[in-house]
Amino acid sequence: MKNSKTQRKLLAVFAHPDDETFICGGTLAKYAAEGVDITLVSATRGEMGRRMGNPPYLNRESMGAARESELREACAHLGVRSLHFLDIRDKTVEFIDEAVLTERVAEFIRELEPDVVLTFHEKLGGHPDHCAIGKATTAAFRRTAVRGSLYFISFGDMMAQPERYGYSREDVVRVDVSRHLQAKLAAFRAHRCQTEIDEWVWRSNREALSGFGKHEYFTRGAGKSGNGGAHDLF
Amino acid sequence: MIPIIRSDAEQQLRKFVGADAYIHSEATSYIFARNFKVRITEAFVAGEGPYRVALRFDGHGWLRMEALTHYEAEEQGRLLLAGYDDRGRMNVALHLGKEPFPE
Repeated sequence: MKNSKTQRKLLAVFAHPDDETFICGGTLAKYAAEGVDITLVSATRGEMGRRMGNPPYLNRESMGAARESELREACAHLGVRSLHFLDIRDKTVEFIDEAVLTERVAEFIRELEPDVVLTFHEKLGGHPDHCAIGKATTAAFRRTAVRGSLYFISFGDMMAQPERYGYSREDVVRVDVSRHLQAKLAAFRAHRCQTEIDEWVWRSNREALSGFGKHEYFTRGAGKSGNGGAHDLF
Repeated sequence: MIPIIRSDAEQQLRKFVGADAYIHSEATSYIFARNFKVRITEAFVAGEGPYRVALRFDGHGWLRMEALTHYEAEEQGRLLLAGYDDRGRMNVALHLGKEPFPE
């Protein structure tokens, strides 16, 4: 057992089950494989999602429990040790009192003292729930963190060209996930009701794996930069 | 959830007539309203599939939805209707219950 001073810790704060897998599953799997202790906080259970399985086997009332169960399985594939929900209804995160939401995230940061915090960029997050949890987590990080670094996750390879979003190359960390795509694929498949509609996920492993990029990109939010430079979050 | 059988869906809906009901109603990509309580006075199912459902309530109200394809009458007395597209994506939902749905 490593003691708590040498154990590296990562806290990811996202909005819906599947954010962790679809956006940065390779990175979570990579750091878990390296022994990093990973905690995931999901604001919602994704209970207002539109994809109900293909053919559909869920309804609005059964969806939350189904997606929680899928997320637990995905976490097992990725190596995420600890999973927490904020119990906010999907699609309503932006309407939760900002101070209350920030304080709830801050409690996790104080408790864990993570080296790395991952969340959504409050403007580039896309979905309103993403932006809202990203904003609260950013505020919580600034309020609490005495150490560690904050990074924003990004979709696909949009940050391969950071200038388009007002960032420079120095702001971007590009993580090589090429050795962890099998775990990412397993997690994609664990999110069955969300991925059944995407035929490529269910083709042979080799075909499905070819659908993934070799890198996942993160932009620096706040805190001291890790020693990893352009390729490592720690 | 199974494909709607109109005569049975009408019968299930009629169980809510004359009493207070909690409603969850949504057009998935646009709006949802959860747990508004109304007193239902009439209930209708129309169409040959996909189906239209309309409720009259409180002596002055209408709720009408279309594109409903599937339903389920749950053991605890809730009636769930939904409309899915041909790839399992939900377009609309209409749920009725005697008790509030989980918030």
